[in-house]
Amino acid sequence: MFSFKLGLKNLTRQKRRNVITIMVIAFAFFGYLFMDSVMGGMEEMSFSNIKNYDTGNIQVAYPEYWEDREKLPLENLIYLNQDIVDSIKNMDGILGVSPELRFKANLNNGIDETVVLGLGISPEQYNEVFATQNYIIEGSMFSPGESKAVIGVKLAELMDLKINDYITLLVRTKEDTFNTIDVEITGLLNTPNPMINNGVVFVPLDIAQQALNVDNGFSLLALKTASGDEDKIGKVLMDSFKDKDLELQAYSWRESAESIIALSTAKKGGIGTILSVVLLIGMIGIINNVILSALERTGEIGMMKALGMREWEIVFVFMVEATGIGILGGLAGCLIGFAGVGLMAKYGFGFNVMGIDISEYGIPILDKIYGTWNYPAFSFLFILSVTVALLSSIVPAYWAAHKDPVKAIYHR
Amino acid sequence: MSLLELKGVKKIYQQGKIEVPALRGVDLIVEQGEFSTIFGPSGSGETTLLNMIGCLDTPTEGEIRLNGNKVSDLSRKALAMTRRFNIGFVFQSYNLIPVLTAYENVEFAIRLIDHTSELKIKERVLQILEEVGLKGLENRRPNELSGGESQRVAIARALVKEPKLVLADEPTANLDSKNATDVVKIMVKMNKELGTTFIFSTHDPMVMEYAHRYINLKDGMISADERRG
Repeated sequence: MFSFKLGLKNLTRQKRRNVITIMVIAFAFFGYLFMDSVMGGMEEMSFSNIKNYDTGNIQVAYPEYWEDREKLPLENLIYLNQDIVDSIKNMDGILGVSPELRFKANLNNGIDETVVLGLGISPEQYNEVFATQNYIIEGSMFSPGESKAVIGVKLAELMDLKINDYITLLVRTKEDTFNTIDVEITGLLNTPNPMINNGVVFVPLDIAQQALNVDNGFSLLALKTASGDEDKIGKVLMDSFKDKDLELQAYSWRESAESIIALSTAKKGGIGTILSVVLLIGMIGIINNVILSALERTGEIGMMKALGMREWEIVFVFMVEATGIGILGGLAGCLIGFAGVGLMAKYGFGFNVMGIDISEYGIPILDKIYGTWNYPAFSFLFILSVTVALLSSIVPAYWAAHKDPVKAIYHR
Repeated sequence: MSLLELKGVKKIYQQGKIEVPALRGVDLIVEQGEFSTIFGPSGSGETTLLNMIGCLDTPTEGEIRLNGNKVSDLSRKALAMTRRFNIGFVFQSYNLIPVLTAYENVEFAIRLIDHTSELKIKERVLQILEEVGLKGLENRRPNELSGGESQRVAIARALVKEPKLVLADEPTANLDSKNATDVVKIMVKMNKELGTTFIFSTHDPMVMEYAHRYINLKDGMISADERRG
């Protein structure tokens, strides 16, 4: 079709303007793809840090405890015999089970005091569920029954503590009386999850139970499963609890990470805004291009009309040209985006280079953020660029094609 | 049946609240194969008359028939189709498409009406380019052609679809005298060989000499209509 050929040939006119429009579209697309990759990476790392260092894949607790869990109550704790814990551990798909006793405590170093989250754990079981112990950068994990603690480096820095120092944890027992846990710091942690580093004190489960006077009670069971199996295994667990007349409930890690998921939802909104801006930039570029081309080629449009071309045929010529720009802009954007996302996925980006601690914004990431590949975003954006170019060219192209032939021919 | 018939054609342009009459009642009959010139002082309405005849514009009043069909009150789309199949145009400023070669500029016009084989189209385009003396220049773009050569491409473009009527608005105004003569000679040749009707406007007495009929316009009306030879 000759009009198609003419539209394509017109792409070679006004090269500088076309190249600028293509580059504007390309960089807008790159910005979107890059942000999408960073946000995706941030989300993935946040979720991974929550699962690997905070909640596990599934948490088992009584519903009454779960409702109040933010207050770290010592009510509605779980008292299970080891057989039941073992039976959970032996269920298909469960890779580890770790009881946790969570409690509020004031850490005192003899001079200062700060509020911390106390975490009574059984190191061996905890190790099956969480990767925390891999991040002990100094010292070692305690053994059950030892009056020892492991804390994060940030907390140690804050309280001016080091290995072998003694700390006192001021706690309230189940009966609401004060008690203390005197422990020696045996290890310092620096996990990728800043929440762990900043405000958690790990102590042996039995020591915590004794101090809090909760017998062998614990707040919840953290379970490790294969990623993505949480819902399926959660359902099996619930059936199993029902069979055993236990009122326990299984909660996916997502339910413990509501704030992060809310951030993730906000991120999607943010990405949507970026996408809208990108589309707007593309539309303005294309509309501007078609209008300028039409103004420059008014005489030509008049000649086309004199030759007997119908309006839609002239519109088609402009649309082919605009779509060509959209395709080239989309391709260039995808190529630059591919390179940018590739670099981001391989080398990552540390916000700390810019002096920003993103954990202060509630994002549980300490180190570099690595980009994620979102391949559908590339094809989606490319298709969108072509569609937007096509659609946004219609009105200005129609405006051009609708010109009075006499005025167009004798236009100067 | 005459090729072209104009009866009481008037054209009034509205400039704000002022009405400016460009044609004040033109009656004209043009037969197939005529080689006519429309001339007159600037502003006498030659271009307006050509636009009316060429279905680029419609009269405010009066009737225009082309091949017996009334074209003065057709829709924009129908006017476009009439132009496409029946009328060729040659403009003073050539109006060639700069990104297309001489061959493609001519091909463009025939593609609009002819959907036959590539080979036939190619033969036809090369033939018409040869007839206007552009053999060997087919692959040149307008910026690689002289003014005379560009106007020949425009003539080839107007003639390639073998229209009944070719309208040329001051086709030699941008050309030197040698090129102007060459261009008019080509038009005369095509008129003789193909029997195509030519109506052109000009102010150039040398160009006028080639015409068989002289239509003199004055203040939007035909003041004289003479035939020669």
